[in-house]
Amino acid sequence: MLSVRITKRVGARSSAEDGFTLDVEFEVPPGVTILFGASGSGKTMTLKSIAGITRPDLGNISINDQILFDSDKRIDIPIRNRGVGYLFQNLALFPHKTALANVEFGMTGAARGERRDRALKMMAALRIEHTANRKPRDISGGEAQRVALARALSCRPRMLLLDEPLSAIDEATKLGIIADLKAINRELLLPIIYVTHSREEAIAIGERVIVYEAGRVVARGEPLAVFGSPVRSSVARLTGVENIFAGIVVSKSEAGGMMTVEITDSNGSCRLDVPFGSEAQGERVKIAVPSGDILLATEEPRSTSARNILRGEVAAIEDKSGGAIVRVTSGVNWSVKVTRQSILDLGLQSGQPVWLAIKTHACYLLDKS
Amino acid sequence: MNEIDWFPLTLSLRVAIIATALVVVIGVALGWLLARKRFFGREALDAVVTLPLVLPPTVLGYYLLVALGRASPVGRAIESLTGQTLVFTWKGAVIAATIGALPLMVKTSRAAIAAVDTNLEDAARTLGQSEWRVFWRVTLPLARRGIVAAGMLAFARALGDFGATLMVAGNIPGRTQTAAIAIYDATQAGRDDYALILVLLLSVATLSIVYATNKLTKLDT
Repeated sequence: MLSVRITKRVGARSSAEDGFTLDVEFEVPPGVTILFGASGSGKTMTLKSIAGITRPDLGNISINDQILFDSDKRIDIPIRNRGVGYLFQNLALFPHKTALANVEFGMTGAARGERRDRALKMMAALRIEHTANRKPRDISGGEAQRVALARALSCRPRMLLLDEPLSAIDEATKLGIIADLKAINRELLLPIIYVTHSREEAIAIGERVIVYEAGRVVARGEPLAVFGSPVRSSVARLTGVENIFAGIVVSKSEAGGMMTVEITDSNGSCRLDVPFGSEAQGERVKIAVPSGDILLATEEPRSTSARNILRGEVAAIEDKSGGAIVRVTSGVNWSVKVTRQSILDLGLQSGQPVWLAIKTHACYLLDKS
Repeated sequence: MNEIDWFPLTLSLRVAIIATALVVVIGVALGWLLARKRFFGREALDAVVTLPLVLPPTVLGYYLLVALGRASPVGRAIESLTGQTLVFTWKGAVIAATIGALPLMVKTSRAAIAAVDTNLEDAARTLGQSEWRVFWRVTLPLARRGIVAAGMLAFARALGDFGATLMVAGNIPGRTQTAAIAIYDATQAGRDDYALILVLLLSVATLSIVYATNKLTKLDT
């Protein structure tokens, strides 16, 4: 368990008005915790404080009851003794060393042969053995990420800090790396902090999420709960009010380019046709449907290309700046974004029966776990 | 013309080699300090270290003579520690050449070290490396090209130092007379053949060094 309680002010010289204050407190159990927030909200500063690269003004940081930093007790363990695996935003691979030498870099205590064996084993687990003798500039982006990850893990760290490490590579490569990292961590059981400002990534990867806004924690919890029911307006603004559901693949049709998923929430369940994916029948998935992508009708729509026509009932209408959100119950609870004019034109009110039309491609598959 | 006196040339080589070694060690240390550490008077230190580049060599030599002479605390400390004075010895010439060539190295290594991504150094620290190891394994190898180039220029500079060396070490044939001073001496005494030989040799040596340095620094682009 990694525990963090830190305060740090930067930029402001005198008045409390300007500058930036980071003031956070959280705990990270083994597994992947997402640190989510807009750029400039203090995510990287938090990671650097944990690693010892920057020094908080006040607070304490400890890992498994060993104190790494404590402003009261004047403890500030140097970076090299903190046992941190750190993946930098730009990866920071040593350009003058081969991939293998990068991975071996931190194993200075071990004998040469043992170093090599351990490094190659780590590289094998991350499927990058073939890059061993190449320099960082001669390997692909995805491979470079894996080399950096292998290097961070090679020193047997007590925690792993990933600073938007995968922002530069495509989705499939990214999810592959995360799957491998999670597999490795099933044995290591390290607390992992994964910094991102991508909501999809947060939901797909995280077991827990901590939401930052302007240097403070504004929400925390299980990603679906945090993003699915935004309890705070700031979270809602950060994440967008969306429909996010857990589900199970019930049938697949490759020829049809779609599969059917049974989605469930606290209210109930319903079936949804979503784009065809690599998930197996019976596999658990997460589905997101942007509230603006749902068509609302007061009569049953016929002959449309939308695969999902759901009959439901208006539960509530909420006036928002820039439009309105209609809450519709149809098996599960849906949020539908419409204009105020539409509400007037359709004469929408609570309790009214309505139909929702949702295109297959308005349904986004978020997870493979 | 009689037997050619090789002493000034070998002395110049010896002085330049030792001075270059000192310049590399001191210059890189200062360059690292200026590039990586924040402290009061950092730019003032940079200015002081740069001074020998722009001061008239005789003025620099005068300062050194005063600083290393028996009248100064530094000179007395050296004498009580080693039992000898540096003034008017070939070691004095080494000091003069070192100070003269130092700015080149400090300026270049400061820039080369500042250009090394600090994330790389932090990455090495998270991988358990001490500050010393971070320097040896990451900073120095990545700044190496600039430092080697500066070292070669410093060698060329030390090889040809005249004014400061003359002030500090004097012109004692067979003891402190370097090639640059011997050329002046030979010309004054009308031994033009000897002067010409030394001039040619020094020219060829420095030209090849500058050429090699250019090649080396161009490899990057």
